[in-house]
Amino acid sequence: MTRLGRGGLIDRSSVLGFTFDDRPLTGHPGDTVASALLANGRCLVARSSKYHRPRGILSAGLEEPSALVTVTDATGSTPNLKVTEVPLRDGLKVNSQSAWTGLDRDAGTLLQLVSRALGAGFYYKTFIWPRNSWHRIAAPVIRRAAGRGRVDLSFDPSNYDKRRRHCDVLIVGGGAAGLSAAVTAGRAGATTILIEQDHVLGGALLSSRDNIDGLPAPDWVEEAETMLYALSNVTVMPRTLAFGHYDHGLVYAVETPHSDSVASAILWKIRARRILLAAGAIERPVVFPGNDRPGVMLAGAVRSYIRRFAVAPGKRAAVAVADPAERADTAAALNEAAIPVVAEILPGDRPSGTRGRLHLQGVRWRDATGRHHRTSCDLLCVSAGWTPTAHLFTHLGGRLEFSAETQSLLPSAETCGPLRPIGGARGVLIAADCVDDGKRGAHLAMAELGIHKSLKHGRSAPTPATKRGFESGRGSTFIDLQNDVTGADVALAQREGYRDVELIKRYTTLGMGTDQGKTSWTNCILEIASMTSRDPTEIGHATQRPPYSPVSIGALVGTETGSRMIPIRRTPFHRIFESLGCVFQTSGDWLYPRYFPQPGEDMAGAVERECAAVRSSLGCVDMSTLGKIDVQGRDASQFLSRLYCNDVETIKPGRLRYALMLREDGYVFDDGIVARLDENHYLVTATTANTSSVWRHMLKYAQVVWPDLDVALTQVTDHWSSLSIAGPNARNLLQALDPDFCCSRDEFPLAAVREGRLGGELPARVFSASYSGELSYEINTPSGFAETLFDRAVEAGAQWEICPYGLETLDVLRVEKGHIAPGTEIDGRRTPGDLGMAAMASTEKDFLGRTLLQRSALQAGGREQLVGLVPQDRKTPIPGGAHLSDQPVDRNGCAKTLGHLTATIKSPSLGHPIALAFLKDGIARSGDLLWAHSPVAGKSVRVQVTRNCAYDPKGTRLHV
Amino acid sequence: MLIPCPFCGHRDQAEFAYGGPARALPELDGQDGTHAWRTALYSGYNPRGPVTELWFHANGCESWIQITRDTVTHRITRSCLANPREREP
Repeated sequence: MTRLGRGGLIDRSSVLGFTFDDRPLTGHPGDTVASALLANGRCLVARSSKYHRPRGILSAGLEEPSALVTVTDATGSTPNLKVTEVPLRDGLKVNSQSAWTGLDRDAGTLLQLVSRALGAGFYYKTFIWPRNSWHRIAAPVIRRAAGRGRVDLSFDPSNYDKRRRHCDVLIVGGGAAGLSAAVTAGRAGATTILIEQDHVLGGALLSSRDNIDGLPAPDWVEEAETMLYALSNVTVMPRTLAFGHYDHGLVYAVETPHSDSVASAILWKIRARRILLAAGAIERPVVFPGNDRPGVMLAGAVRSYIRRFAVAPGKRAAVAVADPAERADTAAALNEAAIPVVAEILPGDRPSGTRGRLHLQGVRWRDATGRHHRTSCDLLCVSAGWTPTAHLFTHLGGRLEFSAETQSLLPSAETCGPLRPIGGARGVLIAADCVDDGKRGAHLAMAELGIHKSLKHGRSAPTPATKRGFESGRGSTFIDLQNDVTGADVALAQREGYRDVELIKRYTTLGMGTDQGKTSWTNCILEIASMTSRDPTEIGHATQRPPYSPVSIGALVGTETGSRMIPIRRTPFHRIFESLGCVFQTSGDWLYPRYFPQPGEDMAGAVERECAAVRSSLGCVDMSTLGKIDVQGRDASQFLSRLYCNDVETIKPGRLRYALMLREDGYVFDDGIVARLDENHYLVTATTANTSSVWRHMLKYAQVVWPDLDVALTQVTDHWSSLSIAGPNARNLLQALDPDFCCSRDEFPLAAVREGRLGGELPARVFSASYSGELSYEINTPSGFAETLFDRAVEAGAQWEICPYGLETLDVLRVEKGHIAPGTEIDGRRTPGDLGMAAMASTEKDFLGRTLLQRSALQAGGREQLVGLVPQDRKTPIPGGAHLSDQPVDRNGCAKTLGHLTATIKSPSLGHPIALAFLKDGIARSGDLLWAHSPVAGKSVRVQVTRNCAYDPKGTRLHV
Repeated sequence: MLIPCPFCGHRDQAEFAYGGPARALPELDGQDGTHAWRTALYSGYNPRGPVTELWFHANGCESWIQITRDTVTHRITRSCLANPREREP
């Protein structure tokens, strides 16, 4: 055990048990998995992805490139978590992931022997021949070897949630700058949110021995925290990671609440008027041969493990820290943990290698005078400088610029939209300066928001880096530890012409791991600069995109799973259909009846029975989902006449017409009925699927294009329930429902509308329109009366054995009649002529789409036209989705297509299969024999082309 | 984005449906306006910078609104009802 006897922010009174590779270990509340592993003397925790080199824990934060593990708890396992980001919980199972047999004996290490040959682009260059060798042979093996953790495919029982917050000032990061900004903004009365990724506030101050405002740093943090919790206008959100910055002050953050919370992650969408980015800075490792060995650790992480987690990460330490003050502080921290400092490697020195098999055993270097040194040690504290965590600054296009002064990428402007980086995020590293910068940032934000007036406030300068950095000896240096990208890989990319950073990134995979190169990007730029003598300022940086750090997919999905994915709409008949044992299906947003099985009946049987009932006597179907739009006003006729291609104005009050609506470009948009209730009052219907787009289209023309027309539109889809009764006995049933209007064949003909009451009191609008091809009435009644209407229809219809039917039967009946449906026939590529309805387009008036419908390509011959098909033998079902051809398929399974099927059924009324299809020059091909090929079903069927209407083509049954 | 609706104030983009750049459509006067319609529909401009466009406040007041948005920065400099008769002077 290497746990220190005292100090640290851990609770020694309580012990948490966990396992690492099945070995039981313990830690304390306050530990991360990383600190607990180190406290148990465990430093080797992973193997690198490409060369299977032993890897330890480099950092103490989200920037960790190496120590990725799979963590299993009661809800399942999660791969690729950084040991530094997982707070220790009792019962966690932690497993290493990319080792073949075990961490200590990894067969993959053989790869190191040939590592010289495995440089950047190796796989691309090698596995290109023979064709398919990559997919069939190489990829499975390489992916296994290079793989990270395995995804847990079992059901995730965790709850996730999405929530929103709004504030004046959002502060991202709870270190010196963030706390100071939050206190300043909170005290001035701004609604303030402070989010901190860690479970405690303080950031780097937690392991600092600095004094701020005369207080030791941790005490200052505690004081600031107490103040923030006392302010009612301040919300502090620990354990919350801001991972994306979007337009107009929107920040996405994911909260990982305490383990006893109901939700395992909450996605927050926080809309802020001003954002202060106080995410601090990330320490940069020193690049030298053997720099990836377990035991090489960032100096800031060493201080953090000793002071915050009370862990001694080694027994003999060497220190290679560029900044003198940090070097002294690191030495002081090591001293506190009684770890002897055996060597100090200074800027200008040239570290030339490390030794040790699974852990660091020694380091050698050459000093500025050329003398060689070596020492044995098991801990090497490294720091070449700091990289501002300015990712959120760049998400909306803000650029970073390399500063020679700080040797790092700094935000190129003071702000990006409402976001202003403060403190470490803009290169200010000294605690007192960060506190100042936080105050200044908060004051500026509030002056901009008008919360208080502008105050004069000096701007802290970014902290300069030491003039001289570390040099590197010859040998294999690792720049990106996660993806095993070496200095040689970057040099190779340069030689092969991949000079742009974006290309270097993709060619070498530098910065493409789950850590997104947090510790490697600046080093890469400096490496390129020293290789090519280019000025680092012109090298630029690769685009940084959200998320800043990996976010669980569950959090992004939130609660929207299964039946909660989208709200479900139910028609007013839903309850009554449920009681009839209806089988429902989703149809857009709606849950719609599919069929009504009798006991022991399957779908095919039910559909056959329902169809027969409609064709021979009487059926009823719910039509409530059709869009219903009420159009009124002096110019209602004119308005509809412009929108529909039919002659609308000639419809007499009390009559209706089937009508087509075209898009501006001349293609069919939607179909429906236009019913004229009165001189200046219409009701039009839209197909279920197109209701919202038709409604939007109509409002656009009413509001934007023809505002001078006097027309008022109301969507009444939900106000009316609609039950269509269809079949030879439909009029008898309507009669039996006792309407207060005459419904004889002459008084209430096809294509008419009547308003009145049924049985003296039930308000109803009845449309004589047919989709089924039988005599049919669509009875509309205010939604609240739906069940009454249905009960009465069933009661009165019993003598004709009225049969409720669903979507399946509806579809069979309409295919028999060759009627079109949105999605299948109205697919956005058809003119009225293609659908056999050229005559509906008026020549007497202008309408939307008329002009462009006249384009030659839309009028030329050779277009696909809607036709019907029957199998030549009148028996073989025609496979759905088949393509039509006049040839059989050739040896390769190919044939030239002449069109495709849109619907195929076995017609109960005709006793054989039929289909609808779009066929090139289809009308002229009537009677031709073609092939219907379905490569998906592996079937080809001989079919004969017919007219699209297979059942009662003369329409005599509509007028019985 | 936050889109300012003249009726509802600043609302999240998710409440709106995009209506494309604002463009003048030819009159329905029965003339052969093929050229005019083609130009209106297919010769749109796609500038880098401010563009005047239509949005439909679908999950709100159901107004068509017209805004001027910078396609680079998404800064919205103007917002009004798209109905020219209901626009404030």
